[in-house]
Amino acid sequence: MAAENQNAKPADPFDALRGIRDSYIDAMSKVMMKAVNSEEYAQATGVMLNSALIASAPFREALDKAMAAALQHSSMPSRQEVAALAGRFTNVEMRLDDMEAKLDRIIELCMVARPVPVSAVPEPRAAAKAKVKRAAVAKASPRQNRGRKKG
Amino acid sequence: MTEAAVLPDQWSVLEKRFKTLNKVMTTKAAIAQTPKETVWALNKAKLYHYIPVVPPESRHPIPLLLVFALMNRPTILDLRPGHSFIEYMVSRGFDVYLLDWGIPGLEDKDLKFDDYVLDYMTRAIRKVKRLSGSTEFSLLGWCIGAILTTIYASMRPDDGLRNLLLLTAPLDFSKPQQLTFARWTDEKHFDVDRVLATFGNMPGEMIDYGAKALKPIENYIANYLKLWDNLDNPLVVESWHAMNTWVTDIFPMAGGAYRQLIVDLYRNNRLMKGQLKIRGELVNLKRLRASLLTVIAEGDHITPPCQSEAILAKVASTDTEVFRVPGGHIGIMAGSGAQKLTWPHINQWLAARSR
Repeated sequence: MAAENQNAKPADPFDALRGIRDSYIDAMSKVMMKAVNSEEYAQATGVMLNSALIASAPFREALDKAMAAALQHSSMPSRQEVAALAGRFTNVEMRLDDMEAKLDRIIELCMVARPVPVSAVPEPRAAAKAKVKRAAVAKASPRQNRGRKKG
Repeated sequence: MTEAAVLPDQWSVLEKRFKTLNKVMTTKAAIAQTPKETVWALNKAKLYHYIPVVPPESRHPIPLLLVFALMNRPTILDLRPGHSFIEYMVSRGFDVYLLDWGIPGLEDKDLKFDDYVLDYMTRAIRKVKRLSGSTEFSLLGWCIGAILTTIYASMRPDDGLRNLLLLTAPLDFSKPQQLTFARWTDEKHFDVDRVLATFGNMPGEMIDYGAKALKPIENYIANYLKLWDNLDNPLVVESWHAMNTWVTDIFPMAGGAYRQLIVDLYRNNRLMKGQLKIRGELVNLKRLRASLLTVIAEGDHITPPCQSEAILAKVASTDTEVFRVPGGHIGIMAGSGAQKLTWPHINQWLAARSR
């Protein structure tokens, strides 16, 4: 009995308060979920967002113009110019990717038309996988493979 | 014990709790630890291949490509060792690839679903097929990733897609009264063009606010109270830290794709109506023939179940299944129940179709 008492978790005086807090949080959560799901909330946030965007537009435009002028004065590319350059890089990447795919296809077709020694070309992953699988099968059933060789 | 001895002890406990709190709130947890290699990249997008851990003869021959949403990191699929969906699937013999969209810059503001599906996904899939040596593959799309994979599966049904898994897929917008996002983004209140003209891309902070404001008390108060109550429990702290690291890693969504999400889907439900055009071609869901598993989170407040159910009646797939899981939008894949319920079911369903 004494040992049991020693192992028992000491009573936390805050447990009751925690319970009250959690009940309050649950109730508030339901109220708030209902509130944010209302037409009034959607309207209010829409009005606030629009007002903020409209109010800040002239300052943003002025800042953009000043920044563009400063960059031009310092012979530096603007944000738009860097963005355009990045777009061109992506186009080059896409073309390279397409060329790689076409090369892969050409190599595949060449191998089908004129089989070359395995040592002459890098082994594609699929072939390597098949080789491993064949080796595993051969190891598992040596008798069957011997028969195949003879045939 | 005297009161004088207890007091310093209480102080040291409190000090320890504050130290833990400070660490969790100000540092990043080590997430996305499953070994991988980058096998392809285009613009900001990267394709990762996870290093297999089972012998080749025990692996499933059909590779699995994971596609996550555009506005969050896909690291949620590989949260932390022992609690990672990717680690789980790799250990079950799947050849797993992950398409990470990356963080869009100003130069990507015009990227649309058209580009993500037809330029990025098709190329990544070509690479997956080339590297795996398989002509067939499986796709798993989560949230907006599920929209992209559904569009792809409908537009390229002959590319070798065998299995399609959709997790909490927001595809049907025919019941706007049940969708809080639809109410907020209604054209009466929300000027999407003004926002995008101002910022170019949809700012990550606004997306984050939108997601959290759906359940404001839970996200802004209860979440932190849960941490405070469990600061002495290292398991809870570790889990909270990892999730907080993922949640706070916010970034913008490409403006073009965001406009499509709001105008074409939320406001006009064009995908379900068969009116969604991708590079001038109508997306016809009737062309989707792959085996289909759709996972629905019953307590999902971001994508309510009604958004994921209608797809089954629209597609031509004969092998379809709906799997309902108790839990929320993220919890069903990254919560404590994911390892007991969602992951085993996905593994079981996919293994039977990956032979």
